[in-house]
Amino acid sequence: MTYVLFTLSVLLVMGFVGFSSKPSPIYGGLALIVSGVVGCMIILNYGGAYLGLVMFLIYLGGMMVVFGYTAAMAIEEYPETWGSGFEVFGCFLVGLMMEVGLVLWVLEFDEVVVVVSLNDMGNWVVFEGEGLELVRGDSIGAGALYDYGRWLVVVAGWTLFVGVYIVIEITRGN
Amino acid sequence: MTPTYMNIMLAFTISLLGMLIYRSHLMASLLCLEGMMMSLFIMTALMASNAHSPLINIMPIIMLVFAACEAAVGLALLISISNTYGLDHINNLSLLQC
Repeated sequence: MTYVLFTLSVLLVMGFVGFSSKPSPIYGGLALIVSGVVGCMIILNYGGAYLGLVMFLIYLGGMMVVFGYTAAMAIEEYPETWGSGFEVFGCFLVGLMMEVGLVLWVLEFDEVVVVVSLNDMGNWVVFEGEGLELVRGDSIGAGALYDYGRWLVVVAGWTLFVGVYIVIEITRGN
Repeated sequence: MTPTYMNIMLAFTISLLGMLIYRSHLMASLLCLEGMMMSLFIMTALMASNAHSPLINIMPIIMLVFAACEAAVGLALLISISNTYGLDHINNLSLLQC
């Protein structure tokens, strides 16, 4: 239980290797969804309940659905999975071997020194503070976007509007 | 820092490699781009919770907004390629005509 966060991050890397080894996009989308679920659990373990929910709703529920429909439009008849052919399977296996080697390195030395020193194995215990708290920090911080970040909301909203217009112009063709 | 950060940065690097190396589909590179955005979202969310500073939580939300924009534009380009050629294979693209 001490290493549950490290295990989840290892599973995240394995999911990322799964779609970076480039199978057919529909299977890549599946690996991205699995990675998203694992990433949401990592965020939840650090105490960010609101951001985990945002990830599920908007990222997996919004963007992945759009990617799934687009992949269904531009797919071939026999999509290529991880087990068909040596290229995808070889890339996937190399990625997994690299991650297993890294895990063994970390468990052996308890420390990885690459530019910075990554030590402190084990879980972070989120310090909740004294007394009862009524609001979570992350939802209040994201709500401060509309208070301190008024201009940022205007810029992001205008960007989204222009993005929709660009998409319409691109798909119009000619 | 924990080795969890190392794994998340490694996930970003693996997605970056996957985006830059082409196989047959353009859509697979767009998926790797989404993977990069997801790993950045996770990293900034963890840093916001670690530093106990709520205002940093604005950054993952805004990054999600702009990642959605770029995903939409990338998918629109893919659809226009797919309308011209039927599939989104990379070797259909040439510098003369998209």
